[in-house]
Amino acid sequence: MTDTPAIIVDDVSKRFRVYKNRPSSLKERVTHFARDRYDEFWAIKGISLEIPSASVYGLVGHNGSGKSSLLRLMAGIHRPTRGHITTHGRISALLELGAGFHPDLTGRENVYLNAAILGFGRRETDALFDEIVEFSGLMDFIDAPVKHYSSGMYVRLGFSVAVHVNPQILLIDEVIAVGDEEFQRRCFEHLYRLRRSGVTIVMVTHNLGLVQAMCDRAAWLDHGQLLAEGTGPAVVKEYLSRVNEIEAERFEEAERAAEAAELERLAVEEKAAVAAAPVAALAERPVLLGKIEIFDRSGKPTRIATTGEPLTFRVHFLCRREVEEPLFSFAVENENGVLVANPGMRRKQEIRRTAEGDGFVDYAIESLALGPGEYQFTFAAHDAHGTMVLDKRERAATLRVQSGDEVVLGLVDLQGRWQGVTGEAREIA
Amino acid sequence: MTAVTEIWTYRNLVYNLAQRELRARYKKSLLGWLWSLINPASMLLIYALVFGVFLKIPPPVAGNGRTSVYALYLFAGLLVWNFFNAVVMGSVSALQGSGGLLNKVYFPPSTPAIANMLTVLLQALIEATILAVIMIALGNVSATYFIFPIMMVLLTPFALGLGLFFSIYNVYYRDVGYLVGIAMSLLFYATPIIYPLSQVPEEIHGVPVRAIISLNPLTQFVEWSRDAFYNLRWPSAASFLGTTAASLAVFTFGWIVFNRKARNVAEEL
Repeated sequence: MTDTPAIIVDDVSKRFRVYKNRPSSLKERVTHFARDRYDEFWAIKGISLEIPSASVYGLVGHNGSGKSSLLRLMAGIHRPTRGHITTHGRISALLELGAGFHPDLTGRENVYLNAAILGFGRRETDALFDEIVEFSGLMDFIDAPVKHYSSGMYVRLGFSVAVHVNPQILLIDEVIAVGDEEFQRRCFEHLYRLRRSGVTIVMVTHNLGLVQAMCDRAAWLDHGQLLAEGTGPAVVKEYLSRVNEIEAERFEEAERAAEAAELERLAVEEKAAVAAAPVAALAERPVLLGKIEIFDRSGKPTRIATTGEPLTFRVHFLCRREVEEPLFSFAVENENGVLVANPGMRRKQEIRRTAEGDGFVDYAIESLALGPGEYQFTFAAHDAHGTMVLDKRERAATLRVQSGDEVVLGLVDLQGRWQGVTGEAREIA
Repeated sequence: MTAVTEIWTYRNLVYNLAQRELRARYKKSLLGWLWSLINPASMLLIYALVFGVFLKIPPPVAGNGRTSVYALYLFAGLLVWNFFNAVVMGSVSALQGSGGLLNKVYFPPSTPAIANMLTVLLQALIEATILAVIMIALGNVSATYFIFPIMMVLLTPFALGLGLFFSIYNVYYRDVGYLVGIAMSLLFYATPIIYPLSQVPEEIHGVPVRAIISLNPLTQFVEWSRDAFYNLRWPSAASFLGTTAASLAVFTFGWIVFNRKARNVAEEL
């Protein structure tokens, strides 16, 4: 049995019709006279895959890449336009939890109904009923109509039924990302248990960490085509590097345009300030902050950084009169406006020089701690005591941080090192 | 034929869907199950009043030679009609109503219609039992009662075949549902339910009306039900053969068309 793949996808294509103005009545069809007016759209283009039995298989890709369509084809909900899908074993699909729950029926009645939809018999359901209810943790509510359930309870019951119907193949579409922490943990534990007992699991997910951790093999789909297939970590790596590349291109282009506009604005401002040059204004803004540059490890200017890599910020400035020991600082904010860091020069600790004319300061980072995401930088120049802001450039630079080979979760990578395994190393089951 | 065996493997789902419908139908109503009897009873009352009392359609004398009650004569026909109507219309709405589900889980698309048929069948059997009990009380008893189950065995695939056929086209063109609704009310009067076939003129302006109406397979089913419970006669062999042929043909046709068209039903719903 283990030699036969659980699912064989053989050169499968799927065409969907996207109706422009769908003639959903005979009248329209007659009056339009013409045939149905629709665009054809190939969601899946000639994909061949083999999903080994008793393995966990991940499908990754952008939204609209066709991975959910492929899952539906595997589940038999849709049929391939071309090619064949052969499956060995009873399939349970979790495309939507609690699909088929009837709001007026009680939890108990719905368990039986949902199990039947998944192809389970009454007596078989009887035997598993207690286990299902226990797993869901809804003992007290099982005889209440499900319309009184919270969405979390709904989902718990649905998941519980779907994983208990002894599927040989379990298809999961991004549905485990529900419920509270505790329930999610139990879901994963159960999935691991299923995997150990030889169930084939195919999951569509955006959670690359999950693919790395759980999937024996994975496939990467893009625009309905198979771009990569292999072990989970290998596919994730390939996917990430490509995604980073594409994003970097797009991002850098936008950044370049923004930077050019900003520099132009700065030049105009500077000229105006110098031209007007009232003594009072000069006293207030003796320092003008200029171009912001960011360099990667090889010293190339960039707007994309990788967690854990070296990075250097360079702030150009112009002193229009002699300024005694200016201090510089910058604030780092993430997409949500959270202040992540705010490094600044401290008195008598850093390079201090009385400046006049053009100059720059560098802020060098050995290993970038920021996690993946987009960050905004606000730069400021202060007087020697750090009490007065001489100039400030709000959100003058945007930096995109990508994760490297290792997926970094969270805002920052603490970059600590684990150590201290004492005693004999034990096999972890 | 694989579609048939598939239904068998999903029989538990059919049963559960039927149960769900029955359970959910009268939840939150005080009279609950009684409504399934009150509804046909009120319909029967209205027709009996209008056609039996106001219009004075004469009921034939029943098989025992004494009884002659229009309401009972009507009931025997009406329960056939109610079943037929509920199967056809119910199939259409059952498939349409399970679109959300068919998009999430795979199961044979004919199961909702079959489940609906089961609930309606249960209703028809209850009504038939009530009719039989009344008839027994009136002393109108005969072995011809056994025609009724045979009739149901033939009527069920006939109605289901039509229901499946219309339901699948209704997925593609929603007008089918409305058209069927109109056709059903026409068919109701084109079938001798509120009137005896013998009341229909042999011909009107050269059109052999009575022959046309008796060609309607539904006419035969209605007549059988009356023969069973009211007239206490055995239907003719010709009627039996014709009805069986019609039933098989309609079911096979509906089933094949449905399964061919249902291939992509999940995308269209």
